[in-house]
Amino acid sequence: MNTGQIISGTGHLALIGWALFGGSFQSAPPPFEVVQATTVSESEFAAIMDRAETPDAVANVDTPDPPEEGETAPQETPEAEQPAESDPAPAPEDPAPPEQPEAEEMAPDQPAPPEDTALMVPEVAPRPQQRPAPRVAPESAPEPEPDTRVDDETQPEVTPDEGADTAEEPSEATAPEEAAREIVTEAEESDEAQQAAPPAAVRPRQRPDRPDPPSEVAQAPSDPEPEQDPEPQSEPEPEPEPEPRQQSSDRAAIDDALAAALGEAQQDTERPSGPPLTGGERDALRVAVQRCWNVGSLSTEALRTTVVVAVSMTENGRPEIDTIRLVGSSGGGDAAAKQAFDAARRAIIRCGNDGFDLPAEKYDQWRDIEMTFNPESMRIR
Amino acid sequence: MMRTMISLLAVLTLWALPAIAQDRGPLRIEITEGVIEPLPYAVPDFVADGSEAQDMARDLSRVIAADLSGTGLFREISQDAHIGRVTSFESPVEYADWRAVNAEALITGKVRFEGSDRMVVQFRIHDVFAGDELGDGLQFSGTRDGWRRIAHKVADEVYSRITGEDGYFDSRVVFVSESGPKDQRAKRLAIMDYDGENVQYLTDSSSIVLAPRFSATGDRVLYTSYESGSPRIYVLDVANVGRRVLPTLEGSMSFAPRFAPDGRAVVYSLTQGGNTDLYRMNIDSGDSTRLTSAPSIETAPSYSPDGNRIVFESDRSGTPQLYIMRADGGEAERISFGQGRYGTPVWSPRGDLIAFTKQSGGRFHIGVMRTDGSEERLLTASFLDEGPTWAPNGRVIMFTRETRGAEGQSRVYSVDISGRNLKQVDTPGGASDPSWGPLQR
Repeated sequence: MNTGQIISGTGHLALIGWALFGGSFQSAPPPFEVVQATTVSESEFAAIMDRAETPDAVANVDTPDPPEEGETAPQETPEAEQPAESDPAPAPEDPAPPEQPEAEEMAPDQPAPPEDTALMVPEVAPRPQQRPAPRVAPESAPEPEPDTRVDDETQPEVTPDEGADTAEEPSEATAPEEAAREIVTEAEESDEAQQAAPPAAVRPRQRPDRPDPPSEVAQAPSDPEPEQDPEPQSEPEPEPEPEPRQQSSDRAAIDDALAAALGEAQQDTERPSGPPLTGGERDALRVAVQRCWNVGSLSTEALRTTVVVAVSMTENGRPEIDTIRLVGSSGGGDAAAKQAFDAARRAIIRCGNDGFDLPAEKYDQWRDIEMTFNPESMRIR
Repeated sequence: MMRTMISLLAVLTLWALPAIAQDRGPLRIEITEGVIEPLPYAVPDFVADGSEAQDMARDLSRVIAADLSGTGLFREISQDAHIGRVTSFESPVEYADWRAVNAEALITGKVRFEGSDRMVVQFRIHDVFAGDELGDGLQFSGTRDGWRRIAHKVADEVYSRITGEDGYFDSRVVFVSESGPKDQRAKRLAIMDYDGENVQYLTDSSSIVLAPRFSATGDRVLYTSYESGSPRIYVLDVANVGRRVLPTLEGSMSFAPRFAPDGRAVVYSLTQGGNTDLYRMNIDSGDSTRLTSAPSIETAPSYSPDGNRIVFESDRSGTPQLYIMRADGGEAERISFGQGRYGTPVWSPRGDLIAFTKQSGGRFHIGVMRTDGSEERLLTASFLDEGPTWAPNGRVIMFTRETRGAEGQSRVYSVDISGRNLKQVDTPGGASDPSWGPLQR
């Protein structure tokens, strides 16, 4: 055994030893999660499952407001019942229909829970409801401070600081106009107010009595039937080979077509068009236009009309007003299409007045734009 | 091999050409979310042709602005914020000045007097951002004391051109004017402009009057009165306030009348022997035809705009609910299935919706639903809301709201069918039971 082999063997042994005992093949112990667990008996588990299947009646009952002391809520009556309240001198026979039968659909009176019973209250928080606002927009915005100027962006007021090293240009505070995501009617607003605070604090749930053990044991589900093997598919038949053609003439034709096509492409690409707009750039344009697309004054028919509007843009991102035109419409008549087009045109002009934020190097990609204004989600429901 | 490669390359290039060509088309984006907010507009004082028309020019523009802004669909740009000044009706408009104050629509006009009694109003509507007029200029003329009607007509035209729907400003409302405490309330019929102006009384308060209803042409009013001791239906001519009682069966009570759209028939409720059913009467002949025959209470009928169907209220299912039947009677179909009691249904002039009163959970609501009962929406909620009536364009609903307590008063309110723009109509004293008439001609 020569010296080289000895050195090599020693080195390998040392390396293998280091790998085995030095920790290279030992990974750090995975982090573990501690979970609190409580052992429940079979009967307790059955009791929990029974409770989960109880219909949630309390949440759906239309509970009437308790009348104020000395005040009775008026009953809806046919029109002829109204004179009864003023008791006219001739004292005519009451034209009102006879006593109205009790409502079958009306919810029964909600019995007051006994002292030691708790109401079931869902633990999930109710869906937050919108406040009514004069403006409905894709994003809700709180009411701005009284002295705040309405603007798309929020920025604090800047006042000149005499002691500062650099003079900062003063500017007034701005904030977006108050907006809600959906129309809120008085009825919905009232519901919110009613739901906002429960009439009384909810008592904690009493621990349920231990139920009797179930008399029957649920049968284990039978084994599912084995799935049938799918039928073997027949192998596709090989396609017949194309017949040989006269390649020389074909090639000449292809060469001609190729040359013509490349020639056209070369003409078209004389000015750089840049890569296509990214999804983010398209989204930014869409958001910029929809901010000014006001459908609040449109008729209900115009709100059912989708219009496609074409516009050519200048290189600084401004729409050329004269080029805005209606390409097509669907869902409404000509008058409705005109109203919808007018609203779309106003949106393009208003929000494009200062130029849309579009990449200049891709001008050829957005020089001509077709915008589809689809008001489906903005209709009165 | 080389030939094959070249051929393949050529075919691929040809295949890709359409895609290249398509890529060079316009950029296409879809806008699906916008905003719903009042459209900002400007209406500078109309130009006065002569110093004597100065006040009238200002008053006209203020009524037009009140009409438009009162819809909740428009927001006036305050005159203090105007940069541009319109000193001549004929001069071209400096649109940039109005764009600068963010006005999307501009209304300019001129008023002049002709003789001692007549006035002429000319106006134009401008689409500021398009830099062009919105339609042709128009001119209205009339008597001086009818200046508010002229202003309403201008506002109707503006509303119509911008929204695409007919306006409702030049219309009137008949209602029950109320005065005195709740237990001794005097009631009389009155008529007013839609905005509460120009109130005129049609009856005195010597007897109780109820439920006035305009005819489709606005020339007559049906109402119920206790003048004879028991409720009877009267028809009143609005022009000369002449009236006559409609014939009814001996020993019966008739109430809740409503005109058919053609104005030649009346559908109403009649109680006889403790049972209330619906009848239709030919106004000229006085002949009545029974439409329903059930032991339950059928009342509050209202025709569809085409006159072919009637929606009404019945408790045949145990609680008051809404039903629709043919105008000549027959099987009725229930359309309301929500929780609570439904009443006083009124068919929209457009024919697509039915407004109603609903009592549920100890509160009263005004709501709308489609004629098949779907898409029910509650627009209001209060101690007592009832008796909806539609604006002639089917966009706004007026109704009675009564406040709680012994001192509670009835007032007339209006609300947009979207549930926005809920507001009280200014009336002198208490008011209830409004019935909105058609646009005046």
